[in-house]
Amino acid sequence: MEKEFDSATGAELSREEFTTVMTALEPDQLISAKERHHCPRRQLTRTEMALFWALRIYLVFMVGVVVYQIWTSVR
Amino acid sequence: MARTNAGSGRRMPGGDVVITHEDIDRAHDRERVSETRARRGFRPRLRLFWLLIGPGILVMLGENDGPSMLSYAATGARFGVGFFLPFVALTFLMACVVQEMTVRLGAATHRGHAELIFERFGPFWGWFSMIDLMVGNFLTLVTEFIAIRAGLGFFGVRPWVAVLGALLVLNFALMTHRYWTWERIILGAAMFNLAFVPVALLAHPHWGEIGRALATGRPLPGGLTQEMVMILLANIGATVTPWMLFFQQSAIADKGLTTRDIRFGRVDTVLGAALASIAALATMVATAPLFLHHMTAANFEAAEFAQALQPFVGHWGAALFALGMFEAGMVAAITISTSSAYAFGEVARRPHSLNLPFKQGKSFYLVLLLEAAAAAGLVLVPGIPLVYIVLLVNVIAVLAMPPALLFLYMLVNDREIMGELISPLWANVLALGVVTVLIGAGLLFGLSVIAPNALALVGGR
Repeated sequence: MEKEFDSATGAELSREEFTTVMTALEPDQLISAKERHHCPRRQLTRTEMALFWALRIYLVFMVGVVVYQIWTSVR
Repeated sequence: MARTNAGSGRRMPGGDVVITHEDIDRAHDRERVSETRARRGFRPRLRLFWLLIGPGILVMLGENDGPSMLSYAATGARFGVGFFLPFVALTFLMACVVQEMTVRLGAATHRGHAELIFERFGPFWGWFSMIDLMVGNFLTLVTEFIAIRAGLGFFGVRPWVAVLGALLVLNFALMTHRYWTWERIILGAAMFNLAFVPVALLAHPHWGEIGRALATGRPLPGGLTQEMVMILLANIGATVTPWMLFFQQSAIADKGLTTRDIRFGRVDTVLGAALASIAALATMVATAPLFLHHMTAANFEAAEFAQALQPFVGHWGAALFALGMFEAGMVAAITISTSSAYAFGEVARRPHSLNLPFKQGKSFYLVLLLEAAAAAGLVLVPGIPLVYIVLLVNVIAVLAMPPALLFLYMLVNDREIMGELISPLWANVLALGVVTVLIGAGLLFGLSVIAPNALALVGGR
């Protein structure tokens, strides 16, 4: 029969539980590891920055179009 | 200072490594995967598939939500099946291209989408993306409760009872405090999306016409008008939206998928797209009799569609249609509010997992429940223009996609975080094709609103 697992509730981990976690998860899957190591910030190139801004302006403009459409429809 | 997730974890006696409740639950799931993978034969392979599928099917069937099904129903009723069957099938291919990138990203980094955007591009761009997500999610959630209310309205359920009942179901699914159990419950519920298939069969469709439409396509009925542009956009927005990127990547991280599981993640996504497209096409086929009998369906709501279909599909068919609408709203309400909660937790660096007990994941569960409750409450306010909100939600989703896709495209081509798993050329070409289609559709919509006569310049009238 398949082994059923239950989350432990004690204050300290048993050695078996610890072994299960360390063998089953990849090191960077641990929550504590994710909190310690963050992905470094990426330096955006001018082209990337221009693309970000262009699409942001596109979105703001298009939201304006949607608002305009609602306004004309209501009118 | 924000309380960290690891702060609620436990240490090995005398050790430095902090293990959280979330780690233990995820490790148990992964151990089952490893044990199954070690076995040979067909049955273990099948079991491995069963263990690893989930996020892809959930995201695709979750996106077959209230406004999407309403868009498909409106399309079938207004324009029949000729042009739109292959068009909608194509939009699901677009969804596959986009969602495949989130599979690789989630499995390679074990982090959610919002977290990666904040860390790699900084809070300035991160907040923009969060605002897009949260506004879009909230509006979409409102429409999910509209679908729930309308679907159950067919059976005479009062709006406040329907909405309150839906909130209780959402809460019940969360009470498992276990990603695996939650995923299986929602997967089971999501399968009811296929309720539209028997309705389509009851409508006695013209199989020859359907076959011809799918094989050769048909011209755009009535040409490129303002209404047609809106319908085209609504159908695209019914399959590709920003919340899907955030949800699938976060769910993959929460499920604990690794780079070894990417192949299964892809199959999961394609299978989800196939099931969702079957349900979508079935909805159009089911409402096509309204088109054939020249019934005006411009402002139908979900329950009205069910009532209008009754002469063609019978009482049971109409009831199934209404139930399908309820299910579409219910499953999407759960997945969309979960995507908001994941994103909030990732950005605020608060614990964010469906494996967390309520006490440890209080902020995660509260964001999820409060967002859903606020959207549900809005649906009950008298005089709110519900039909407008439904129509606009899919349009807004299409408009918000290009900026969201740019983040995704850059992340998935970032060798520093992806290593060898960066996108190959063919995937980049397809992704850029999707972005071009979405921007083109958005600009066409803008043109149709600001200068409707100018549509003639691009072949419309």
